[in-house]
Formats: sequence, C-alpha cells, structure tokens
Amino acid sequence: MKFKVASLSDPGLKRETNEDYLAMDNSIGLYIVADGMGGHQAGEVASKVAVKIIQKNVNYWITENSPEDEVFDFPDNTLSRRGNYILSSIKLANRVIHELSKVYAEYKGMGTTIVVLAIMPYTAIASNVGDSRIYLIRGDKIELLSREHNMVTEQLELGLISKEEAQASPLRHVLTRNLGSSDTVDAEVFEIEPMNNDRFLLCTDGLTDLVSDDEILRIIKNGDDPDHLCHQLISEANKKGGHDNITVSLIFVNKHDDERHGIIRKFWHLFEK
Amino acid sequence: MARLILVFNKKVIKDYPFVKENMTIGRDEGNDIAIDNLAVSGFHARIDKTGDTYILTDLQSTNGTFVNDKKIAPHKLQHKDKIIIGKQMLFFAMSKQEQAKVAETEVDRTMILDTAKQKDLLAKQAEKKGMEVPVKKEKLGIISFIDGSDQGEIQLKKKLTKMGKADTSEIRLGGFLMPATVATISRRPNGYAITSTSSTKVKVNNQVIKETHYLKDFDTIEIGSYKFQFYTHESEDEK
Repeated sequence: MKFKVASLSDPGLKRETNEDYLAMDNSIGLYIVADGMGGHQAGEVASKVAVKIIQKNVNYWITENSPEDEVFDFPDNTLSRRGNYILSSIKLANRVIHELSKVYAEYKGMGTTIVVLAIMPYTAIASNVGDSRIYLIRGDKIELLSREHNMVTEQLELGLISKEEAQASPLRHVLTRNLGSSDTVDAEVFEIEPMNNDRFLLCTDGLTDLVSDDEILRIIKNGDDPDHLCHQLISEANKKGGHDNITVSLIFVNKHDDERHGIIRKFWHLFEK
Repeated sequence: MARLILVFNKKVIKDYPFVKENMTIGRDEGNDIAIDNLAVSGFHARIDKTGDTYILTDLQSTNGTFVNDKKIAPHKLQHKDKIIIGKQMLFFAMSKQEQAKVAETEVDRTMILDTAKQKDLLAKQAEKKGMEVPVKKEKLGIISFIDGSDQGEIQLKKKLTKMGKADTSEIRLGGFLMPATVATISRRPNGYAITSTSSTKVKVNNQVIKETHYLKDFDTIEIGSYKFQFYTHESEDEK
C-alpha cells in the first residue's frame, strides 16, 4: 500500500499565534491533527502534548504488540486492536492534559480537539474528539468520518434545529467534548475498509468554518499533488477571511488490487497488529 | 480610528490619531511621535496596523517598552493599554467600531460547555419548541439470513464487520469462489454502510453496488448464493 501525503498549518489572518499542531508518521500510517484552546499560549501546549502522546504510545504498543487489556483504560470490544490502541492513546492524552491544567496556573482551562487517522492495508481507522474533522473523498463523493462534539451537532441530531440554523448559530463554536476539560473522555472511532484512490482529509475548523464540503470536494478532486492541494485549501480559507488557525493534512491511498493479493489477505491477521 | 494619547501628570499633553499604517515613537525628530526625553532611545518603538490589529514592537531600545507595567515582546494592543516609554505614558484608545470588531472576533473563540449546562441548554430549547427533550438511542444493525441456511441472525456490534471466507471474518461465508473478504459493513457517523471489496458482485435490493452503499432497514443483500436482510434495532444503551 502506498501513500502520497502532505500537510500544512497556517495561523490564518487574524490570530497572533497558531495553536493547531499536527503529526504525520508514514512508518505506521498514523496521521494526527489537533486544535488547541486556552488562555495565553496554553492552547499551543495542549495540542502539542496531545499529538506527541498519541504518536508515542501508539508506536510503543504496536512495537510491543500489546494486548488490548494492557493498554491505558478498558478496551472497546467493537474495535480492532489498532482501534483500541488509538482510543487508549486519546484517553491517555486527555488525562495528561487534564492533570496539567489542574496543576499549573498558566494552563488552567486548556484543552484541544483531536483527529486521528490510522491506515493499514485492510483497515482504516478514524477517530475524533471535538470539532476538527476527518473527510473521506471516494469517487466523486465526500463523506465525514468524524462526528463533531459541539452544541449544534447535538441540536441537529435531536431535531431541535435545522441545518441552516446550525450554520448561522452563535453556538457553533461551543464544544461538548475536548481533551483536557474532564478527567475522562470518550472518543468517536470509525473503522472502514480503505479502497484504491481513497483520499482522506484531516482538518481543523479554521478550514470548514469558511469552506463548504462541496468546495473542498471540488478542490481535492481537481489535482493530484497533495502538497499543492493543501496550499489551495488554506488559500481558500484565507480568501474568505482566515479568522482562525487553519490546518490540513491530506493522505492519498494507492492500494494494490485485492484479488491479486488474496493469498496475503487470507493470512494477514497473523501479521496484523 | 485608534489614537495614542500622551499623558503627563494626568493631563493630556498631545493626541496622536492613527492615520498611517504604522507609527514610530522615539527621541529622534523623524519619529511620528517624538518624545524629548533622555530615557527614550532615538527610535524606540513602532506600532504596525494590519486590518484591525495593532502590534507594538520595541526597536531594541536601551530601556525597553512597557505595557501596563510589563516589558513587552511584540504585543497586540488592546483598548486602554498604557504604553510606557522612558518616563512617558502613551494611552492607546480604540474607536467604538474597532472595539466592537474585537469583541466580535472574541466570540468566535472556542468554548466548552460541561454536561450539566449542555443538558440544560437542550432542555430549554426543546421547551421553546414545545417538544419533550428527545433521547438519543443507539441503533444496532442486524443481519438476518433469509436463504434457508442455518446462520440465523448476526448482530453488527463491531465498527467494521468483515464478510467472506477468511477465518477472521465476523460473518463467514463459504463456497469455492468466495474470496477471503467479499464485503465489509462499517458503522459510520451516518449509519451502516456495506462496501464491496472484491470482484465478486454484491447486490442490494437486486442492484449490484459499486463500492459503498448505505443500508436502510429491510434492505436485502445478495452475495453469491447467500441472501440476507439488514435491519436496525434500538438497543437499551443511551448514547
């Protein structure tokens, strides 16, 4: 399986600092984006801590081939082993950020969103806490592989407001979950089978607040160089005001035809960690 | 338009409106704000205006630049900041429109609401609409074999359910031509979706699916000689 990846983070036009943070680890197919928040520069600390803890722990557990019940917190039996590694690392990051925010006065109230994408030959795992997003662009469709943790999504799901009301709502930046505010957190985790030519986008709300899903789809389908497309996406957000930090990560999948490798697939579970 | 007000002994000495994109402050007469004082460097500090943002930068002055008694690195000026250069105080004032604009961008900053407040807000909104607060129930997908084979019903508890000949498949299907994984069903934010993962045809409601198809209650799935029906069931767990 081959990837073409690129990412870009921009402070936008109105903010002094960039409190977003990201990591790309091609050795294990792990991609992470975080949008930090908190007074002074606490947001920068929160997003960086989250990304580093997740990357470090997922790497460690993969290397050790740790059983699910030995990682941090209880495993979720609806997930694969890798899915549990990711869920656990997110819970661990949350606990660390929460403790830091309690112990150090300058970190009081700090928190961050998180989106994690892990891609292996037969499983892609998308996980999130907060309102940063993961999109799957497959064929000519764009689909969300994350569920936003904000008030407007809760209201929408309960049928209390319409999509139009949601877009204009003053509550659209009010989160219902993040890493750091509470000593425990539950993350969304979705698992799918990656297909040849799938394109994944991880992004913070600095992009999606200003650029619509249709526009994102149009931009991503219109080129083959992820680096160039990252620049285009950020430029589009800045054109529309750039009022927040903007971070985008693009992962393009090039997968071998499954049938030809049926014999590998048959025994893949022996190697899958 | 913002202004810088030079104050001494609580009296306004001079008022400098911000008419340019940047203004320099120092002892040298070439500055926009020239302050004749030994504790002030030739070119002491500069304020740059970009959009609605005013940034104050110290120009490596001997004695430093202070805002509200703190020595600054480049500093984003806020309404009523007291700038101290040498022994002089410059009061930074924004116009009412500029203050309003700043307040607007502050609201865009992310906040988090705790669970109790969330429930409260939702309850108030439901009340306004004359609704009872709806409770979200988790829907569990179920595959029911309807081809007479003995497999019965299988609950789709996992986020990703694999179907095929492979031993590790959650739904094992046999047959000479059956591939290791013929299809997968994933539980996504919008519901359950079936994806065809091999060249073997997968039919939903008699139509061959291309790649991914979102399943609705009572959809019929055909793979090889197998036939099943998909439906959802409200589980007891509240999300």
